[in-house]
Amino acid sequence: MEQMRPSSTDRGAKRAPLIRLENISKSYGPVKANRNISLEIRSGEILALLGENGAGKSTLMSILSGKSRQDSGSIFVDGELTSFRSPRDALAAGIGMVYQHFMLVEAMTVTQNLMLGQAHGILNPSAMRERVLELAARYGFEINPDAMISDLSMGERQRVEILKLLYRDCRVLILDEPTAVLTPPEIHQLFVALRRMAADGKALVFISHKMKEVLDLATEISILRRGEIVDHFLRSEVPGERELAERMIGRQMETLVEQTPAEKGEVLLELSHASCGMASDLTCSLRRGEVLAVVGVAGNGQRELVEMVTGGARPDSVKDSVRILGRNWNDFMRARMGRKSMVYIPEDRKGLATCPSLDLLDNFLLTNRNGFQNFGFLDRRHSATVTTGIMEEYQVVADGLHATAGSLSGGNLQKMVLGREFFREPSLIVAENPTQGLDIGAMEEVWRRILEARDHAGVLLVTSDLHEAMTLADTFAVMYRGRFIDVFPRSDVARVESIGLMMAGIPFDAKEAKEAVHEA
Amino acid sequence: MTWDIFVALLAATVLAGTPLLYATMGELITERSGVLNLGVEGMMIMGAFFAFFVQFKTGNPWLATLAAGVGAACLGLLHGVVCLIFQGNQTVSGLALTIFGVGLSDYLGAPFIGEKTVGFQPFDVPLLSDIPVLGPVFFQHDPLVYLSYVLPWAVMWFFRRTSLGLALCASGESPDAVQAAGLDPVRMRWLGIAAGAFFVGVGGAYLSLCATHMWTHNLTAGKGWIAVALVIFAFWRPRRAMLGAYLFGGIMAFQLRLQALGTSIPSSLMMMLPYALTILALLFSSARGKGRNAPAALGENISPGA
Repeated sequence: MEQMRPSSTDRGAKRAPLIRLENISKSYGPVKANRNISLEIRSGEILALLGENGAGKSTLMSILSGKSRQDSGSIFVDGELTSFRSPRDALAAGIGMVYQHFMLVEAMTVTQNLMLGQAHGILNPSAMRERVLELAARYGFEINPDAMISDLSMGERQRVEILKLLYRDCRVLILDEPTAVLTPPEIHQLFVALRRMAADGKALVFISHKMKEVLDLATEISILRRGEIVDHFLRSEVPGERELAERMIGRQMETLVEQTPAEKGEVLLELSHASCGMASDLTCSLRRGEVLAVVGVAGNGQRELVEMVTGGARPDSVKDSVRILGRNWNDFMRARMGRKSMVYIPEDRKGLATCPSLDLLDNFLLTNRNGFQNFGFLDRRHSATVTTGIMEEYQVVADGLHATAGSLSGGNLQKMVLGREFFREPSLIVAENPTQGLDIGAMEEVWRRILEARDHAGVLLVTSDLHEAMTLADTFAVMYRGRFIDVFPRSDVARVESIGLMMAGIPFDAKEAKEAVHEA
Repeated sequence: MTWDIFVALLAATVLAGTPLLYATMGELITERSGVLNLGVEGMMIMGAFFAFFVQFKTGNPWLATLAAGVGAACLGLLHGVVCLIFQGNQTVSGLALTIFGVGLSDYLGAPFIGEKTVGFQPFDVPLLSDIPVLGPVFFQHDPLVYLSYVLPWAVMWFFRRTSLGLALCASGESPDAVQAAGLDPVRMRWLGIAAGAFFVGVGGAYLSLCATHMWTHNLTAGKGWIAVALVIFAFWRPRRAMLGAYLFGGIMAFQLRLQALGTSIPSSLMMMLPYALTILALLFSSARGKGRNAPAALGENISPGA
């Protein structure tokens, strides 16, 4: 693998960098998270750091934001050698970070959160309030300074995070996967604001693994792989997603998983006006051979839907509003274990799907005890053989059968979970964001497995990744504020194209869509 | 006549509520910073002992109160060493602190049992003490009582209107956010533990300097535990904590009076009343509040940065 240093690419005559990283290395135990990374960050530019999960993006950024220290290498701010001992030092140098998991105090108001660490001595909330409003207006943010953070949407919280940095006059803003929790309109708003900041002379660093967004927003792109910067180029050098993807994974990309409709069988899951907590009045049905993708921004009732179907929470009215594999909810939940039944692939891989401190064999037995018992005792030899078989079939890279689940990378653990659950040849598969945080290779593999499973099963896929839904779904259900805004097949192109709007709560208008088509 | 008894009962309520108020306010400060310190009982009784001892030796009640606060704060810092430096379990460490404090005070205090001391004496606040009812109930006490009236408002002002208070509360809600803001949440927790333990110690000082004026075995008699419960009852709000402290003070004063009147109810049952009410209060507030107002990171240690 040839390594291209940023300095070797054509840069032309440009402004001196605000920040220059030189040969930064950082290891965690035997894992080299960053290896000899050199990078320059310039004002007015939007630099995208693109890389698969575990490529070292987050480590690099936590060094830059003062959260952790490099083992070797130097950081130059305005050409001067600097070392950050804490986030405070980085903030003082004008470097601020918007973390993927927001660093906000939920039980406090927007104003209080902005005052934290920025106002000194005796506070003056009303003066601060004015400044918040002023600043928000300047970048076109709408925000109520008196609102509690816990009452705000994810998009609004992100604005508060950004305001915090703007209030400090940060010159460098680092955004870690900023679009993961936003609706398409919110993403648009964010991008507008970010471009305005870049035009104001701020330097932006944007961490992502969504290629489309990187192409939309970035002016420069750096690609990280296994802790190294393997490529650095200007946005103008890559025409499209395909070329970018090739550079990103470092090999010719296989054709993305192709969805061909499978033969439909009997109805496996039937909801009729089912409600459960926030999820209300849900009606849909799922047949064998079908993938029903429930899409929407996280937190719109998907969690409740999944809990209801998998037995974590009772539907509000049990009587026939939910029918699973031909039985009503009560009857099904009483006898659901075993083969050819329902399996659940939770979003939370290390916690819900597996016990991180148990080894793979024990994790296999967690959901597969049937058939591995002799007179009530576990048959560990038999289960070891089967688990090893699964690890081979699913190409799980792990330190043997007795590696703890927690030691596996996200992709390998997810493959292990799929193997474990599919072992029972389920009839109904409930999968929740199954590829979240996975790299492209693992993602393709998971998608392929899910599509294959349609031979014997129906899949209820709950996802906030639209791309995933588009790839796998036979039928879409768009969820907003606990309800299905619309349920439609893949063939309804007009509706499929307006999923983004539906996710923001705007129902499909057939007439308008028709006019749009006519105009086009 | 019955009116006088009622006023006297209210005055006794304030007296009985004051040590609870100090201890509750102390634990409330500590918990708002995110640290659960179940050592209140131990710190309180040690505060009572330090106060008694310094009073006994110097005759200065103010110095004695200060000694109680500082002494309890030192004990609290032990809890800090366990939880903030060594990431120990907060519940276990707090329980150990209580056992340690109760035992140590018994040991150190053994030679002084029954020993009397002067401590604080009540004085009437000019003008205010002449107001009918309110005067005798609130303004004919000793100085520690008067100071305690200001405490909840002072704490509230500290939380809401000072940057230090804001950072302290934020450390109890989201240490990560505090760190991201360039502050040190661990330092805030040290502050929360020390300041909280100081007030717990003052609550103990009140017992030996104002309530009994003597040293005796088991002076706190579970008041520290009631304070822990009162913090929950108060939903971690200073003014509600004051209300709770007086409510419980009232029950204590009432059962004492009832015993003195010679009811047929066994005294051991009567003495159980405040503790039984503690359980009820916890039941009630957990059913209603569902712990919603507890600091989000309460009892969770801050792991050292990766």
